[in-house]
Amino acid sequence: MKYAIGPLVAVILATRVVMVVRRRKRRDSDSSARGADRPARRPAAIGSLEMLGDGVGLVALREIRERVRGRVFRVGTLIILLAVAAAVVIPTIGSKKHQNEKVGIVGGLDSSLRILVVAAGKTAGATVQLVSEPSLARAEGDLRAGNIGLAIVGGQRLVVNQPLSSSDTSTDALMARSVSASLGLANGLTSAGLSPDKAVQVAHSPPLPVESLQPAEHNSTAKTTSVYGLILTYVLLTQYGTWLLMGVIEEKSSRVIEVLLSTMRPSKLLAGKVIGIGTVAFLQSALIVAVALGLGAAVGSTLLHGSSPLDVLDILLWLVLGYAFYCWVYAAGGSLADRQSQVQSLAFPLQLPVLFGYIVSLTSLGSSQASTLMKVLAYLPPTAPFAMPTLVALGQATWWEAGISFLIMIAGIVLVSRVASFVYYRAILRTGGRVRLRQVFSGT
Amino acid sequence: MLEFDGLTRRYGEVVALDDLSFSVPSGEVFGFLGPNGSGKTTAMRAVFGLIALDGGEVRWKGATVTPSDLKRFGYLPEERGLYPGMVVCEQIEYLARLHGMEHSAAHDATMGWLERLGVADRATSKVESLSLGNQQRVQLAAALVHDPELLILDEPLSGLDPVGIDVVGGVLAEQAALGRGVLFSSHQLDLVEDLCESVAIIDRGRLVTKGTVEELETSGRRRLVVKVKGDWNADWAKGLLGVTVSRVEAGAARLVLEETVDSQQVLQTAMQKGPIEQFGFERRRLSEVFREAVV
Repeated sequence: MKYAIGPLVAVILATRVVMVVRRRKRRDSDSSARGADRPARRPAAIGSLEMLGDGVGLVALREIRERVRGRVFRVGTLIILLAVAAAVVIPTIGSKKHQNEKVGIVGGLDSSLRILVVAAGKTAGATVQLVSEPSLARAEGDLRAGNIGLAIVGGQRLVVNQPLSSSDTSTDALMARSVSASLGLANGLTSAGLSPDKAVQVAHSPPLPVESLQPAEHNSTAKTTSVYGLILTYVLLTQYGTWLLMGVIEEKSSRVIEVLLSTMRPSKLLAGKVIGIGTVAFLQSALIVAVALGLGAAVGSTLLHGSSPLDVLDILLWLVLGYAFYCWVYAAGGSLADRQSQVQSLAFPLQLPVLFGYIVSLTSLGSSQASTLMKVLAYLPPTAPFAMPTLVALGQATWWEAGISFLIMIAGIVLVSRVASFVYYRAILRTGGRVRLRQVFSGT
Repeated sequence: MLEFDGLTRRYGEVVALDDLSFSVPSGEVFGFLGPNGSGKTTAMRAVFGLIALDGGEVRWKGATVTPSDLKRFGYLPEERGLYPGMVVCEQIEYLARLHGMEHSAAHDATMGWLERLGVADRATSKVESLSLGNQQRVQLAAALVHDPELLILDEPLSGLDPVGIDVVGGVLAEQAALGRGVLFSSHQLDLVEDLCESVAIIDRGRLVTKGTVEELETSGRRRLVVKVKGDWNADWAKGLLGVTVSRVEAGAARLVLEETVDSQQVLQTAMQKGPIEQFGFERRRLSEVFREAVV
């Protein structure tokens, strides 16, 4: 529990800091009628982004500034971080990593059997401390009071406070079963004629290695990482795509697009928007992953423990590729709209392939063998950002298969960017109603 | 000098621009007039390549307009366009930067124009919180901030109160005096008459007439104003050969005379009706030039 409190306090403090910063900014902006007389100082990173030619960098910077300032972004990021923190921290609450267990000894116990009890406790995840009990009544009293978890009476029977159920996986129950089995075996061996030392030696012997004919199932941690990766990719692609859609519709519906295009080419404007929103997207994703990994390490979460850096990089790579593909699609979609109220009706069909790839991939993680559908989806650019990293997590894609999917994805991005730019160029200045694709391609 | 040379644009059966040609000299305020749907906005958008032409071209200083020329043009579109949720001064600065200005120069120019146009106190407000008139001023600041060589303003006076019109009119005259080209469209013909030195009038995408305001107002048939005491209808003039009654206001008849008509003959006819209170020639109003041109 103490591990959970730290991160939660950190999140609450972070929220507090954001609120204080916002209050200060508001105070600053109240006095900024004077402040507006001075040009704002800019970080060096901004200067380098501005270097992107023909206004592309300026458009990207505006997008970054407006997004990061927006309440939707801040609240949304906070909610995602809280959700990630909850997913990492909550499973660790109540789980005991390694407990100290007191075991009462009534009537003495041979030293070799004492070693066996300690070893059995370790197998159950507990560090055993043996306590001598003067009588059974005293041991029962300590059991009821919770002072000891288990009492061994004369080395022949065990007494616990609550009956053991088959579904009980607590450390107490695991230890009781383990000690019971070990002592039972040792007693049986002694009865069969072995000396107590030999009996303990046999009872304490290491298990035999087990080999299977079928290949081992791929690392389950990679699967867990993949589940989180799929959720992250789905949420972020949908979110960033919708940002682009709304950004393009805002420029069109407010008619500012005409002012912008009077001084720069549509392709440059579009590139600036994609780069700007993409930068925010990448930074937000990196923050989420960093928080998840940091919190996981701090609380000793088993969810991410053991995640291969390559698995994480693979997810981030496909997230970037997915964005590079869908950003053009959403931007072109936005150029077809005439007003903000059309966001939902335009976003829904664009989200369908994302949703399809996400659901099929998530379902596939439950089985050890990927379906043919999954193997096809892994090579189609609209679904590859979900399907290919899933195949990799399942251990069902070789490096060259992933490479081919990557190359197809790059080709898909180039193609879709060309088509989307064409649609954007043809539709962005058309007003007076929603533009149909038929009109765009026929030029009517 | 900005030249429209044979601009043609069709939308299916509709002809938006029909071989439109005229030129806009720098150093004067040039009015661009025409009824609704006559093609003014289409012609202005063609300057910036915002529509694809079926024929003709726009030239600046004798050469086809290039993207680098556009950086030195200022544009105020008919349907105003600003980011509603963006802070005023940041928005103007952003547009100035897109036109190639350095950061500090863009900031100084922004504050200078907001001051000049009377909206400096709203510099840190969001555009959506401004009144329509103030949004109009901000939009004009966006067109002027980068010190353009040519201003293309589509209906810059609409939505402004009289004080705003005076301010904008002063700015346009000032820009022309600095040697910049200023082309603006308007439906407020009396204002155009006061502001412009030259105008072009188009109808159905074609140039109907063009010239200085002085030329247009003094050209054409003679216009006579006659007021006979006690006469409110000017019925006496309606039967005169070669005389058209343009309109009658407060008993004063505005007559348009054919070349052959003797004005003294008109005077004598009027005197037979009663005592003469007013008699004299007058110039055509620009609104009359416009009506005659587009009818």
